[in-house]
Amino acid sequence: MTIAGEARALSALGAGRAQPLLTGTPWRGAALLASGFLVVAGLTRAGLLPAAATAVAAIAAVHGTLLATAVAWSDGRAFERERTGPTLVLAAVLVIAAAATAVHPLGAVMYVAPPLVTAVLLDPRRAVVPSRGILLVAAVFGCGLGAHILLAASATLDHRPHVPGLTAAVAALGYDVGANVLSAECFFRGALFDRLQRRWSFTAAAGGSTGAYLLRYGLDPLLPKTPEALIGAAFYLGLLGVFNCWLVWRSGSILPGIVSSLLFFTAYRLLTTG
Amino acid sequence: MSEDGRRATATWIAVVTAGLLGLTAALASVESAETSLIREVYAVPVLAAALRFGLPGGIVASGAAIVLQAPFVLPPIERTPAAALPAVAGFTVVAVVGIPAGLLTTRVRRRHARYETLLAVQRILGGQPCLDTALKRLCASLQRRLGAVAVALVVRDGNAVTIGGGRTMAPGSPLHVVCETGRPLFIADAGAECRPRRLFAAPLGVGERAGALAVERWGDIDTDEREAIVALAVHVGLALENARLAARQRRFADELAHKVAAATERLEEADRAKSTFVAVTSHELRTPLTALLGFSELLWLRRYPTEEVQRLAAIMHVEIARLVRIVSDVLDLSRVERGAPLPLRRSALAVEPAVAAAVALFRVQTPVREIVLDCAPDLPAVDADGDAFDRIVKNLVSNALKYSAPNGVVRVCARAAPGAVEFTVEDSGRGIPEIARRRVFEPYYRAPDAVGAARGEGIGLAVVKALVDAHGGAVTVASTPGIGTRVTFVLPAVS
Repeated sequence: MTIAGEARALSALGAGRAQPLLTGTPWRGAALLASGFLVVAGLTRAGLLPAAATAVAAIAAVHGTLLATAVAWSDGRAFERERTGPTLVLAAVLVIAAAATAVHPLGAVMYVAPPLVTAVLLDPRRAVVPSRGILLVAAVFGCGLGAHILLAASATLDHRPHVPGLTAAVAALGYDVGANVLSAECFFRGALFDRLQRRWSFTAAAGGSTGAYLLRYGLDPLLPKTPEALIGAAFYLGLLGVFNCWLVWRSGSILPGIVSSLLFFTAYRLLTTG
Repeated sequence: MSEDGRRATATWIAVVTAGLLGLTAALASVESAETSLIREVYAVPVLAAALRFGLPGGIVASGAAIVLQAPFVLPPIERTPAAALPAVAGFTVVAVVGIPAGLLTTRVRRRHARYETLLAVQRILGGQPCLDTALKRLCASLQRRLGAVAVALVVRDGNAVTIGGGRTMAPGSPLHVVCETGRPLFIADAGAECRPRRLFAAPLGVGERAGALAVERWGDIDTDEREAIVALAVHVGLALENARLAARQRRFADELAHKVAAATERLEEADRAKSTFVAVTSHELRTPLTALLGFSELLWLRRYPTEEVQRLAAIMHVEIARLVRIVSDVLDLSRVERGAPLPLRRSALAVEPAVAAAVALFRVQTPVREIVLDCAPDLPAVDADGDAFDRIVKNLVSNALKYSAPNGVVRVCARAAPGAVEFTVEDSGRGIPEIARRRVFEPYYRAPDAVGAARGEGIGLAVVKALVDAHGGAVTVASTPGIGTRVTFVLPAVS
């Protein structure tokens, strides 16, 4: 044990080496989810399931894997043995939320469940309450970036923002709160960036984490594959990714990043949701 | 950061942000933003941010300036890429102003901070004589100056280890490793907190394992800073070495001054003692000589009856014996001081007759004081020089009589001891204080309270000790102030 206020350099604990980067990854759970997605996709293609089932399975597989990995990496006991339970629980919650949304847009309120389940599953020792100042900075940045995308899209792409209907707004917001933003911040900042920053400098860790973040959205079938959309996504998501990494670096918490991302994606939905 | 510093930072951020937003609003309001000169003014808040906040400020401000003006100066997406070149050139100008200016500012600040830190190290280690306190102050100062969460310092001087920034150094800890290997060590995460805790440790001094300095920080410790910490550790090592040498020099000078003062005092005391000895001895010699001169003149000039002549001759004999004793003592002491052995003609000496003969003279001289002789029966003979034995007893009895009360009793005892005979001369005088008791056998030493009380040269007990030692015996003194003194000496018996 170290004495409070004492330098780690005097303690044997200070010389501890970092675990390998991918230690604790729930590989079995991820494989299970991927298999489930492939089965559902096959059944949908065969006409045995409705088309929405593929989207539900995809949401559960992708976001479930990201959230489960974040949960497993946050757990100090993850080094001992792999636990598939949290992965399946998260996937089940996501399936329920996505299915409810597919049945009716207001079913998106079910997306409040994944953040709650994630909060329960995350190692409480990693819980940090950020300062109000950093939350304010995050909110200002999210609003600024959101305003910028609206302004730039209208000025250069002639896209006009419009206010969506209530049901569409609830569905989009629910998806962002319960899946999109939550899984991205938990995995890319809370897990991946956290592990990288414990090995490398901020620049390298933020670069690696943001690169993976861009890759995830680049592969997202929901993103239009036009050059201007890809360049815009790379620009805005790159900025958002780096800034959110800085927020984690500065505060040790992913909450400010969730705030800035939610505000930005809210603005983004004003362009895309119709 | 202080409250004032925080307020100044917030003010600067507000001013730069307001400047950028104001320029953007102005740019949005003009007809042809692409060719407007307002774009060039973006360099002003960017430069201000770079000069105030260094490289991070330059990067953030120039990035913000580019992002803010982009929607207004970039052409619509359907136009050719060449149309975007003027806007891109404007972005480049902003970046070229912000980033290098920030870089230079950061470098200048770091260099300035390093000089300040080195000066602080020098001041702390130079002005604090206690190493433990100096290290604690140094750690606190470095922690503040380096923006560290903790600073630890280990200084080794032989087997002694002094630690700053903590209490103990665990085996296998980063500082222990650096102390043992003498090589710098960087650990990207030294803790299990929510934020990574960087740790960099460097050895103190150059080429020797004198200790190590460790800096821990939330945030990066880049290569440039690590090099600076290595240089700082070397400087700390040298400053510590200088402080140590200065302390050693001070200690040496103090010890030397102390020794010189003690030696001077001893010399002065010896000088005083010899002067006193010369004066006292002259007086002691003159007294019997005066008596001898007076009595011899009487015998020469007048005619006395036989009984009176015998009485005067007896007095003259006593005075001559006193002269002989004084001269013998002085000669013996002189031999002892030169380191020459005392000439002894040892033989088997019967104790009781020898003691009685030595005491007989005093019985004649001081009839009012009682001298009790107490020799155990069947004592073995001692292996001693008869003349030396006589002087030993006479010196001790003479002293005992001198310091006894007018009607006091002096006891002279002899007892058998294993392989020896133990003699005791005991008086009922004023006694010797504890502080003087330890020095009574030193030549020329006289207890301060004895100087005015009785005549003496301060050599009697020194001669007694020299003679007893020359016989292979031992002499001790025990005394209780106000009750009396007992001197005991032991001489070897004839085997």
